[in-house]
Amino acid sequence: MVTLRHFFARAREGQLTGVRCEKCGELAIPPKALCPACGERAWQPVPLAGEGTIASFTVIRVAPRAWAAEAPYAVAVVKLKEGVSLLGRVVDIPLEKLAIGLPVRFRPLIRDEQTSVGFGPA
Amino acid sequence: MRRVAVIGVGVTKFGKHDRTSSELFAEAAADALADAGLPASAVQALYYGNVVGGETEHQLHTGPQAASILGIPGIPTTRFETACASSHAAFRHAVMEIAAGVSDVVLAGGAERVLNVPTAESTEYFAYASDAVWEQTLGLTFPGVFALIARAHMDKYGTTEEQMAAVAVKNHKHGTKNPKAQFQKEITVEQVLKSAYVADPLKLYDCCPFTDGGAAVVLASEEVARKHRKPVWVLASAAASDWMLMGDKRDLSRVPATERAAAAAYRQAGLSPQDVDVVELHDCFTIAEIIATEGLGLFEPGAGGLAAAKGWTSLGGKIPVNPSGGLKAKGHPIGATGAAQVAEIVTQLRGEAGPRQVEGARTGLAHTLGGNTATVLVSLFGRG
Ligand SMILES: [Zn+2]
Repeated sequence: MVTLRHFFARAREGQLTGVRCEKCGELAIPPKALCPACGERAWQPVPLAGEGTIASFTVIRVAPRAWAAEAPYAVAVVKLKEGVSLLGRVVDIPLEKLAIGLPVRFRPLIRDEQTSVGFGPA
Repeated sequence: MRRVAVIGVGVTKFGKHDRTSSELFAEAAADALADAGLPASAVQALYYGNVVGGETEHQLHTGPQAASILGIPGIPTTRFETACASSHAAFRHAVMEIAAGVSDVVLAGGAERVLNVPTAESTEYFAYASDAVWEQTLGLTFPGVFALIARAHMDKYGTTEEQMAAVAVKNHKHGTKNPKAQFQKEITVEQVLKSAYVADPLKLYDCCPFTDGGAAVVLASEEVARKHRKPVWVLASAAASDWMLMGDKRDLSRVPATERAAAAAYRQAGLSPQDVDVVELHDCFTIAEIIATEGLGLFEPGAGGLAAAKGWTSLGGKIPVNPSGGLKAKGHPIGATGAAQVAEIVTQLRGEAGPRQVEGARTGLAHTLGGNTATVLVSLFGRG
């Protein structure tokens, strides 16, 4: 079983991790308790390549308090090449270059104790 | 199951108030009871919607608080929280309680107070309706969620920023006919297009405002409702959910929870989208109205933007949507919104909506969406 803590510990080292159902082969990220396809709980962690393309994106200009100093910043839903999708902050890509279909690569965003999902240039 | 009717509605003025959310609810509830012609002592249960009271008012346990201020402690009461759909969820459970024969008179509604805190603070609290670990940490906002959806809809169907602007213009025009609306001034497409981006491609005028307000409805069994001058019957009340995370939503251009809840509601009522005369739906952002008109079956997928731009959803159009001004102009006190939409549909079906009346409306639909599209409720109503 992959807990959130395990997921983010690996993500912090640069490794994106999904879970694959041993019963039916369903792939999921983030980890879930039960398989949405077959209902079993036979997950095994699988490393993901971290490569994908932007499925949709936005530039957030009015931010919550904690992020106000960083605005404007981009977030995107990224479709990973294994077929699952994940929301992440887009970094190191000029905002005007953002486009649906743009290839990106996973990178951890580390702020003190917190790790979150980021994507940078492919 | 027993038939259920709405026999009383009450809504406060929407906008900024120097009153607590429980005070706002009490005003709406007292009006709803007066409209129903019933004393508060007739209420057998209270289902109450409130979302960010813990944050903006340091107030939890709002169900008994609301019952207390109405002077009816002792009845069963529960606070519902399904983000912006909270009081519609409260309404649905009130319907089920009466349909099941547990109670004959139930009060449902909700209230919210947010304009007592700065925008950056309320923006943070509203973002609590997205996932704390996976999404809030990225700085995702509520407009950001719908910006991701808007971009996907534009990419798939060619929906334009001008079509989205048409929704805002239409709802502001409707709002001028509603004295309780937060905004009562017309705007132009150009004003919308020139307003500042909040989360691209959504601009300030694509977004509903932050609002304080309360709304309440009195529901009754058929036996009680028959004594009322103009009962409006609940033909269906359905709820559905969807994946919580944006990454798990398979097609960002659609809101599957709307499609599921609508299908269930039409089935319960034995009606189809063509039977609906008036709609109050969840236009938290202009794109949300476009996608809701598609998900409710009023227009084909991808045709919602064109429908708004052509005036098909305006008062006097093929199917008037949000005659109240919608969340966009009427305002969006999140805990009160669902009940306020129900109140508008009831008022329309009674034929008492004044300058914003949809002539001859016999069947109405209310649609309320929660936060990141993971909750939707759809209810259908009919007169006489
Ligand atoms: Zn499986």
